[in-house]
Amino acid sequence: MRIWELFKRNLKETYRDPLGMGFLLGFPLVFMLLFGAIFSGDNASSFPVGVIDEDHTPLSQAFVSEALAKVSVLKVTSYDDVDTANKDLRFGELDAYIVIPPGFGQQVSQNWQGEKANITLEMTYDESDVIVSEQLISIINTVTRTFARIEIPLTINANPIHIETEITYVDFIGPGIIIFGLLILIPTSARMVVRDKEKGMLSRLLTTPTRPVDFILGYSLYMVVIAIAQIIIFVVAAWALGMNIVGNAGLAFLIFFLAGLCSIGVGMVIASLSKTEQQAEPLCWLISMPLAMLSGCWFSIEMMPQYLRGFAYAFPYAHAIGASRGVLIRGVGMEAISNDFLFLVGWAVVIFAIGIILFRRSMRS
Amino acid sequence: MTPRRAKQAETDDLAIQTFNLTKTFKSLVAVDGINLNIKRGELFALLGPNGAGKTTTINMLCCLLKPSKGTAQIMGYDILKQPFKIKEIIGVAPQETAISEHLNTRENMSLIGRIHGINSPELKIRSQQLLKTMGLESRAKDQVRKFSGGMKRRLNIMMALIHNPKVLFLDEPTLGLDPQARRAIWEYIIRLKKEKTILLTTHYMDEADFLADRIGIMDEGKIVALGTSHKLKASMPEKNTMIISASNLTPKVISEMRSRYAEVSITGDTMLITDSQLDFRKIVDRLQSAGAKVRSAHIKEPSLEDVFLHLTGKELRE
Repeated sequence: MRIWELFKRNLKETYRDPLGMGFLLGFPLVFMLLFGAIFSGDNASSFPVGVIDEDHTPLSQAFVSEALAKVSVLKVTSYDDVDTANKDLRFGELDAYIVIPPGFGQQVSQNWQGEKANITLEMTYDESDVIVSEQLISIINTVTRTFARIEIPLTINANPIHIETEITYVDFIGPGIIIFGLLILIPTSARMVVRDKEKGMLSRLLTTPTRPVDFILGYSLYMVVIAIAQIIIFVVAAWALGMNIVGNAGLAFLIFFLAGLCSIGVGMVIASLSKTEQQAEPLCWLISMPLAMLSGCWFSIEMMPQYLRGFAYAFPYAHAIGASRGVLIRGVGMEAISNDFLFLVGWAVVIFAIGIILFRRSMRS
Repeated sequence: MTPRRAKQAETDDLAIQTFNLTKTFKSLVAVDGINLNIKRGELFALLGPNGAGKTTTINMLCCLLKPSKGTAQIMGYDILKQPFKIKEIIGVAPQETAISEHLNTRENMSLIGRIHGINSPELKIRSQQLLKTMGLESRAKDQVRKFSGGMKRRLNIMMALIHNPKVLFLDEPTLGLDPQARRAIWEYIIRLKKEKTILLTTHYMDEADFLADRIGIMDEGKIVALGTSHKLKASMPEKNTMIISASNLTPKVISEMRSRYAEVSITGDTMLITDSQLDFRKIVDRLQSAGAKVRSAHIKEPSLEDVFLHLTGKELRE
């Protein structure tokens, strides 16, 4: 009852404030529209990429002709030897070249049959253009994983050269931007509680028989509604901008929802630790921006040093982006993302438990 | 009646009791071992300057702050052991106008009422009564962000009253309001007297003087004086000041007044005479017989400001 009353009140406070509501939904949407406008359509830049197939198997040939060639942003040229490709890279004719080593086809085949496999590609690129090389690594990585079905090692595909999707840059960036939008829930959820603290509303509510768990849930539930609205808007916007949704949209929604819950939980923890909006606001951005960078929504995690990658995977957002890309782009199911999914559930539960403990402590201080 | 029973009967008559209630923040002693007994139905004012410890005291009694030492009882419930029992029977109007700006008047009241478990029909009746009493009937459906300071203060009190609490805490209920709006709030508080036990904090001496049955003067975390306004003023040793507005005050008559009374000062055409005993008629007659033209004269009783100054050596600034 108390939770419901707080939920209703907080929801009204939010939707009756057009400026706040506009920021909440508009800020990440602007990012998404910008990215969509930049990377979709006819004017999207293409990256010239050379391929040297040293494997010479039907699978390696299929990888070039069916997988790489179908990526609209890649302009693939086959080379017979590394020296020529290297020369073209130095003259700026290529942004990168890929060597498919001997045994590639066999490794992919093993993976499809559920055996252990070590699929490697050698990629040489011009490191002077960081943005292009970073995008290329991400695209090649995603295409290869899609082709090799690395995330579903137990699935035996009877038609090994069938490619389910043509991956565009919007496909790659879409889930990341949605997660970025959900990271904005950290400052938003913290702001409401801290504003109530500062204006004395929380003190008033604390003089009623409301308990800490009622507060945390009452303040979080309305943010859940906001999160659901955000996810729907973002997914529709991404789809309208050309993102292919191959897999189960419901499962992707659930992943985004869990990421949203984690953001709300982090917001509640910050709100419990802060006394004023001036304290909470910088703390929120100090936490949410590095989390966004580490999540892989802007920069590919593969680009990061090993130690930083480990750190990135300690937080839920890299898992959410990886899992949602797997579901939306590669069409994988729960069995392939179960570890990421469980990590998200665990993180959400733990962060809310911490929030309730800290809130209770701040109530007693 | 046995002494124990008599003591219990006395306790039963008390709404708020504090026992050596103390709160320290690191080295700062905000509330320093106060002992208060406030009767049921009494309006008790804690008067003191900013930082005296009034709000900290209220926050402890409302179970918002844990005392560092000592305890208190509200209607027999201990603030340390039964905080949620206390929260069911108290109403609090905090110093800040703690309202939801994007909710309307009725919704703000409903929020608190519902949290206290009041059902819809009863809530509707109580809201209507309060809207009428507090003069906000015509603004029931308006979002409160459009309200004036006085209206927000009234709603602040209405939210504290919606669940019909037994004990009401009003922390600086007229802070920052103009005299007219303050007067309006006073009228509403006066109507609540006797119905409820009210603990009010203020740093406006006229507010405490006008509203309170008893006043506790607080300074640096301690209760330095306690009693009715009349008793506090009567406790002043030099209690009368006569203010005379007159022309043609000759040096001779001024000198004569100075020899007769404890303190005489002249500022322009105004003469101030202070002493424990002042005979109004005698002073006016003497001044007139000495050729002075007396335009006005009155005896000013000591104010709570004077009491505070006398007790602490400091002025109670508004």
